[in-house]
Amino acid sequence: MKRWPKTAVRRCRFGKIDVRFAAVFLCLMLHVPLVVLVAGQEHASTPPASPSGTPGKFVDITARSGINFRYQASHTSKKYLPETMGAGVALFDYDNDGRLDIFLVNGTPLGDPTPKGTIPQKTGPQYWNRLYHQKTDGTFEDVTEKAGLQGTGYGLGVAVGDYDNDGYEDLYVTAYGGNKLYHNNGDGTFTDVTQKAGVGGSGWSTSAAWVDLDGDGFLDLVVLRYLEWDFDDIWCGEHKEGYRAYCHPDFFKPVSPLVYHNNGDGTFTEVAAKLGLARPGKGLGLAIADYDRDGHIDLFVANDSMVEFLYHNKGNGTFEEVGLPSEVAVDIDGRTYAGMGVDFADYDNDGWPDIVVTDLANQRYALYRNNGDGSFTYASTTTGISNITLAHSGWGIRFLDYDNDGWKDLLIAQGHDLDTVELTLPNLRYREPMLLARNTGKGFVDVSTESGAVFQKAWVARGLASGDLDNDGCLDAVVSTNDGPAYVLHNETPTENHWILLKLVGHQSNRDGIGAEVKATTASITQSATVTTTSSYLSASDKRVHFGLGKDNVVQQIQVRWPSGIVQTLKDIRANQILQIDEQSGSVRW
Amino acid sequence: MLCSLLLLVWAIPGTSQTSDNLARGLSEFRAGDYGAAAAHFARAEEAAPGATDALLYESKAHVHLEQFTAAETALRRYLLLHAASGDALYLLGYVLHRESKATESLETYTKAVQYRAPAGDDLKIVGLNYVLLNDYPDAIKWLEKAVEAEPKNKEAWYFLGRAYYTKSRVPEARKAFLTVLELDPRDAKAENNLGLILESEAQPDAAMDAYRKAIQWQEQSVRPSEQPFLNLGSLLMEQSRVGEAIPLLQKAVELAPRDAICRLKLGTAYLRLGKLTDAQRDLEKAVQLAPDDPVAHYQLGKLYKEMKALDRAKTEFDRTAELQSRAAPSKPQ
Repeated sequence: MKRWPKTAVRRCRFGKIDVRFAAVFLCLMLHVPLVVLVAGQEHASTPPASPSGTPGKFVDITARSGINFRYQASHTSKKYLPETMGAGVALFDYDNDGRLDIFLVNGTPLGDPTPKGTIPQKTGPQYWNRLYHQKTDGTFEDVTEKAGLQGTGYGLGVAVGDYDNDGYEDLYVTAYGGNKLYHNNGDGTFTDVTQKAGVGGSGWSTSAAWVDLDGDGFLDLVVLRYLEWDFDDIWCGEHKEGYRAYCHPDFFKPVSPLVYHNNGDGTFTEVAAKLGLARPGKGLGLAIADYDRDGHIDLFVANDSMVEFLYHNKGNGTFEEVGLPSEVAVDIDGRTYAGMGVDFADYDNDGWPDIVVTDLANQRYALYRNNGDGSFTYASTTTGISNITLAHSGWGIRFLDYDNDGWKDLLIAQGHDLDTVELTLPNLRYREPMLLARNTGKGFVDVSTESGAVFQKAWVARGLASGDLDNDGCLDAVVSTNDGPAYVLHNETPTENHWILLKLVGHQSNRDGIGAEVKATTASITQSATVTTTSSYLSASDKRVHFGLGKDNVVQQIQVRWPSGIVQTLKDIRANQILQIDEQSGSVRW
Repeated sequence: MLCSLLLLVWAIPGTSQTSDNLARGLSEFRAGDYGAAAAHFARAEEAAPGATDALLYESKAHVHLEQFTAAETALRRYLLLHAASGDALYLLGYVLHRESKATESLETYTKAVQYRAPAGDDLKIVGLNYVLLNDYPDAIKWLEKAVEAEPKNKEAWYFLGRAYYTKSRVPEARKAFLTVLELDPRDAKAENNLGLILESEAQPDAAMDAYRKAIQWQEQSVRPSEQPFLNLGSLLMEQSRVGEAIPLLQKAVELAPRDAICRLKLGTAYLRLGKLTDAQRDLEKAVQLAPDDPVAHYQLGKLYKEMKALDRAKTEFDRTAELQSRAAPSKPQ
């Protein structure tokens, strides 16, 4: 199933792809292992790829993909802050045809000046959000109008989740001045159910997450908000022609997030304060993982220029903010930084989810290694991240094993927030190339310059979502840019490494399986991941769990710990396939 | 600077006691014995109130002694009788600046210009008053006028560079510091600030070179600054070279024992090396010196956590959170 023209070099792909969504008969659990063999599998295992490995190869296929999108920031002379924030990207399969589709969030026109109190509205097709359906040949068609997803406000973020467990992914789109919930009708159309659901919100919303906070099998909704802000004419920067700048967030007050409990009947109730999640922040990035592995999903909030938040799920339906004592609230010197994008995944394969946060140049992206005792160690300096990122400003970010060697690498969307930065700091850049940092197993190495022309192009990149667009086992990415195009980056990394892609379907748990913890063990390595659509910056990624397997062509064991508490184990799974795992009822609870 | 001002000798009416005290005061002033000079000027004034410029000289002696309250008192008494004295008004403007009375200082300079044009040094102090008022655009305006009036005024260039740097006008800051270095090729302060600029431009190696030069150049200084030691030590810590950072930070603390940031950095370095007793000493001192610094409380919290003093750690983390949340939104310039 080849969708994009072949390259001469054998790229990130192994043999014939078995895209089967076999409902896996699996099982097994703690005490009585039951081995399920997938037909045709091989048992021989070899060590994972050499840590030195190869650089990546990401190819910009936007032009031939059929994606023709331009994000409208609508810059004004007043330098209204939303103009520089950019917007999100979602990779999700809205029609269940097995191929990822792309949703892109867009802005609105802004008056210059815009009166205080204005809620900007879209006025024409150039401002519409866009849904692109992936066709069987791998190209995309614009189905926005048919889907009814044009949108209304100045869009920022997007969250994907099947909130009513009907088997179709729904969309939540955040904006300045009010958000929208679109129910997926299952026939290629969506219905705006915001009012009925009661999730419109207010203020300036940013990243959002679908996650079952109370274990009732329905996805709840966490919506970050950025600042108490309005269209005031505030001059920041030098009073010189061309030097007016976007205001620092310190000029504005923080604001509480919105947290909506899913009542299971299509309505939601706002419960941020009740759950202990109402601490005012300047939230931009949001990610989930069970960092202390107590069976309850936790939240990390990347705040801009204040302490970062880690919300520990106390297991009784409420949360406590533990960023400072867990040592993830500030950098190694105790300084706050401009937290923007975030990912929450186990980069060092020790079984404990780690955290990475992007920020501005001279701040160094923050990598926190999970110590396994409820605390983290700032690891940017010891892993090479500090030196790699010192001069860069990052937004969307994903831990992503681009070469399938079993180690999660980093792909980062970059560009400064100030379009005037080069006037005052000539060594920094407003437009920056993307960054690809290879995880060697001991640290990170910047392989951007060797990883394709994509990494030579300077963009004002913001949103980033990753996923396997062509189901070839290699993770691709889509990047949005501020006042610029969206780019489709196809992963054509030459490698012989194996992989597996797992699509979880919950039955007692939420249908997406969001929050499930998946562990894959090969002869060489054990990796873990959390099922989520939320991470990066304003974006939603492929919910399927991807593991690079190196030279191992069999996964000896896959263990899934579902949000319901059920633990399910699969044995001896052949590599290089997309495998659907259905939550099994009656299994042992964790 | 005041020391460069010429002392004018007035004709002294009155008693020989006045004349004698004034002459001795001038002699001691020239010899740098400002305390004795101030006392003799005071006696001269007492013997013949208002008859001489003894109060003006006394105020200058107090300025040398950094006794600015006394200097202000003497100048105000002098100005009651010599309201049109440009010299006294300019000096009072300077004294008020040193007392951090920026607004009064600016008002005084405004009066002074009626009697004579300001020199580059005066314009520099006007600019620094605006720095005290956190009005950097005006600070830059007046410091630019200062260097225009006196292109070789090294201090004015230095402060102009600092003002540019504070406003992130890095190219202009660099130019200002380079001008200082043209005027004085071994000016450690300017070189140290070039290091800061290089750091802001994500050039840590070049920044470290600059800090090292600054340290070398101030070796013979009577009053070496802790800043290049602090900056180099901090940068080494950011590169995980904590062992190399510690002697530099120790030196910074030695030079500025009451500087909370130096203590904080040194304590943090000890903490990172697991030298908990040393870390406790310096971090507790840092918190004592800067009780409202959330970073100091955070590092102390980390230390107590490391020492398994969890209740004390919690107290420090709670204090950090309280201080962080208390930070009011900034005001746009």
